Amino acid sequence: MIEFKHVNKWFGKLHVLNDVNLDIDPGEVLVICGPSGSGKSTLIRCINRLENIQEGEIIVDGVPVHDKKTNLTKLRADIGFVFQQFHLYPHMTVLQNVMLAPVNVKKMSSAAAEKISKEKLTQVGLTDKAGAYPAQLSGGQQQRVAIARGLAMSPKIMLFDEPTSALDPEMIGEVLDVMVNLVSEGMTMCVVTHEMGFAKKVADRVLFMDFGKIIETGRPDEFFDNPQTLRAADFISKILTH
Amino acid sequence: MLDDFNFRIIFEYMPLFLTGLRNTFFISIVSIMLALMTGTIACACRISSIKLLRYPAIAYIEIIRSTPLLVQIYFLYFGLPTLGVRVPEIQTGIIALMLNSGAYIAEIIRAGITSVDDGQIEAGVSSGLNYFQRMRFIILPQALGATVPPLLGQSIVLVKDSALLSLISVMELTRCGQTMTSERFMPSEAFLTVAFFYMCIYFCLKSLADWSQKKLIFREAY
Repeated sequence: MIEFKHVNKWFGKLHVLNDVNLDIDPGEVLVICGPSGSGKSTLIRCINRLENIQEGEIIVDGVPVHDKKTNLTKLRADIGFVFQQFHLYPHMTVLQNVMLAPVNVKKMSSAAAEKISKEKLTQVGLTDKAGAYPAQLSGGQQQRVAIARGLAMSPKIMLFDEPTSALDPEMIGEVLDVMVNLVSEGMTMCVVTHEMGFAKKVADRVLFMDFGKIIETGRPDEFFDNPQTLRAADFISKILTH
Repeated sequence: MLDDFNFRIIFEYMPLFLTGLRNTFFISIVSIMLALMTGTIACACRISSIKLLRYPAIAYIEIIRSTPLLVQIYFLYFGLPTLGVRVPEIQTGIIALMLNSGAYIAEIIRAGITSVDDGQIEAGVSSGLNYFQRMRFIILPQALGATVPPLLGQSIVLVKDSALLSLISVMELTRCGQTMTSERFMPSEAFLTVAFFYMCIYFCLKSLADWSQKKLIFREAY
């Protein structure tokens, strides 16, 4: 479903993605972890071309992402993206936030868009907050709205960039629950996170990155209990003891 | 001091002052409207990725902001005729105020646009919204809200700046005060009256600014 072929990317002199090769199957849940600055966020931001790459090829659902002729609007409409800082539109209500893209990108009628938006808000447990503004919601609720906003486009893939890192500890659970629920629906997901519990419970594969390279990949239980590389072992011990 | 004050003369000159008030009002309104248009266009060019638009806009904004308004007025008033362009004083004044405020307004609008968080723009990009949709639904509604108070502030500045047009003999409020002073030699009475009328205009604009700000804060909170 998502394929990286010898992808290289530099920020100036910094080699942020170093010969990345990766194959993600439909319905697969991939967790990406690694120290900060290891290129994990950049990796998933390349999938919907929030970032450009200098070398190699990324193919999503048969479409070469970084080809000049690619219809980016259509590509992005099929990929939901959830940010660390939620990035809801503060001047719109929750419902308007969720409806914006279905109406303007998918050209749905507002009645149809409202219907699907309310369904998705119900799915994330926020039916009663449709008329609220983002500033009136807690961090966890805002992030769930952001997930509903992605889901309202009926995407084939959902990308999560550290979705729980900006949250207070007691709100992490509610967001992870929504994501676990998505996994059970068979969504293809790439999640940048350090939530080991989530990774162990639902991930099909864990990918460990450092210095722009994929250092290690494996099943979550194998990766966390018995890492093959020193760097991964060091990283795991750090997130465990801390 | 007030014993020497001649209020009668103020009423005698009231028709002149009212003409001045009307002219100041007219010049200010027209200049603000034109400056808004100039500023919006200059700002659009300033943030454009096309160098042929961006560099002239930067040059315009920087030249205006680095020189005194009085110099700009004199330049247009004395300079344009030597170039063969003959424009009446009042139009010259309006052009000067328009160009001057336009540069400041361009920067105010730009500040409003850049105040919108990049993350929201990325959120719009990643859900497939194109440039114009992002401008219309995400950036402008928030940018305009943030720019209304400083724009009204700039309008207040423009009204007071219009006093400089008295120096190119435009018959606005300050010029009326000068006229009365030179005819009757009563500067205190003349400029007290002039100041009073400026204050009237100021308080009108300020209450408009306060009202719009309250409305905006209310909307953001709710």
